[in-house]
Amino acid sequence: MDATQTKEMYTEEFLINMGPQHPSTHGVLSLELKLDGETIRNCTPHIGYLHRSMEKIAENRTFTQFIPFTDRLDYVASMNNNLGYVMAVEKLLNLEISERAKYIRVIIAELNRIASHLIATGTFAQDLGAFATPLFYCFREREKIVEIFDQICGNRLTYNYMRIGGVLADLSGEIIEKIKEFIEYMRPKVDDYDELITYNVIFLARSKHIGVLSKEMAINYSVTGPNLRGSGVKWDLRKDEPYLVYDKLEFDIPVGENGDAWDRYKVRIEEMRQSLRIIEQAIESLPQGEVTVRVGRILKPSASETYFRTENPRGELGFYIVGDGSVYPYRLKIRSPSFSNLAVLPELVKGIKVADIVCVLGSFDVLMGEIDR
Amino acid sequence: MIKYSKNFVIGIWSLIKGLAVTIKYCFRPAVTLQYPTQKRPMSDCYRGLVGLHPEKCIVCYQCVKMCPTACLAITHKLEDKKKTLETFKYNMELCCFCGLCEQVCPADAIVMTKIYEISVYDRKKLDINLLDDKKYDEWTHTTIK
Repeated sequence: MDATQTKEMYTEEFLINMGPQHPSTHGVLSLELKLDGETIRNCTPHIGYLHRSMEKIAENRTFTQFIPFTDRLDYVASMNNNLGYVMAVEKLLNLEISERAKYIRVIIAELNRIASHLIATGTFAQDLGAFATPLFYCFREREKIVEIFDQICGNRLTYNYMRIGGVLADLSGEIIEKIKEFIEYMRPKVDDYDELITYNVIFLARSKHIGVLSKEMAINYSVTGPNLRGSGVKWDLRKDEPYLVYDKLEFDIPVGENGDAWDRYKVRIEEMRQSLRIIEQAIESLPQGEVTVRVGRILKPSASETYFRTENPRGELGFYIVGDGSVYPYRLKIRSPSFSNLAVLPELVKGIKVADIVCVLGSFDVLMGEIDR
Repeated sequence: MIKYSKNFVIGIWSLIKGLAVTIKYCFRPAVTLQYPTQKRPMSDCYRGLVGLHPEKCIVCYQCVKMCPTACLAITHKLEDKKKTLETFKYNMELCCFCGLCEQVCPADAIVMTKIYEISVYDRKKLDINLLDDKKYDEWTHTTIK
């Protein structure tokens, strides 16, 4: 090619649509990517493909009727969503639940946290090319948790287990034994993931120094959960604003160093170990007693408003409820963690290669059910 | 060159470490079920299709009021100042299998069955008359609680 030909050539930016039907976008997320060769110049996420108008539906449902709908927000961590919602309503009603119910809620929420992190781990490894094996290993472990949930509430995905004033059913001795067995079963499995995925050279090369989220940016974009802790900010609502019985239990908050994709992944792996620790302690100190406080069939909170937030596997889940003295909430606002976490994505992917966007998105572990609501 | 060969060795070592984990599970019994031929036993409280014991029903309308998706519909008639069921319709298309109707029923008339293989070719079959004894004959291959 001589000099005149090069002069006549021109390049332009190239626009591609990634999703909504793309296997690596974890649901129906559509990313509009502006590419310069293989380098991403701009990224615009388009959301709303899974919009079901949850917040408006809540205005026409009683407080108990809305619990099954919270299952469908973050459908891989339904128990944690149930928990956040019922605790917000209990705060609105000034209701104190029994001690046993509190412990049961902690056990169940932490089991679901492990299940959720297992999916995050498996799909992240799958996104980076570890085809099928780690994903199936993670689903094998998740199956044990799902079986326990199936026995206590009767469903395998949308549990509808938490109730205003307690939980649906007590944990029987058999189930407690099963949970204890699961803890023993799960501990070596987490070490297996470390050997199989975490310190694998290819995995490290793909995920280290990719999508570095600085502390300041994470706080400015109100990123929460393992993504925030991966950036080195020690913020966990279970420690900093303890609810239920988390203040009586001993556990550490794992934090990352650089805030890259690997750190976010590593925090999730460590959180699984900590969750196992929490469940073990909670089972040991599980008190006897009733699991539900009797509340009337018709709940009529006074005309007041409340906000309550809990630590979900993906970050802070907040419910803002305004009551107007009737059986329906006047307004219910859901602050979902994935929505805020996704907002920082365009900042992180500018300037990286198009193959790495899958890595960054996978490390954020966003879930569309919760973003669109 | 040294860096290249070092990377090569580390890569092989990492591969062996990973393979050690997978080979370990190679000789353990399989955890998968061959679904259509093998079936997992259902848990006692499994929430499948809604079933009804019509003789127990006291027509209190609690289940209709509680259903979040309004999939149940009842009509009644008065006989000697006593309410009796006339129709009990269940729209399976809308049902979200939350189990709130079973929980709220004071007479234990409405129950969640263990039927879970519930696909049909005709959409009209999803509108179920719960008073019909043969309502779930379509799905005889699963057990009814």
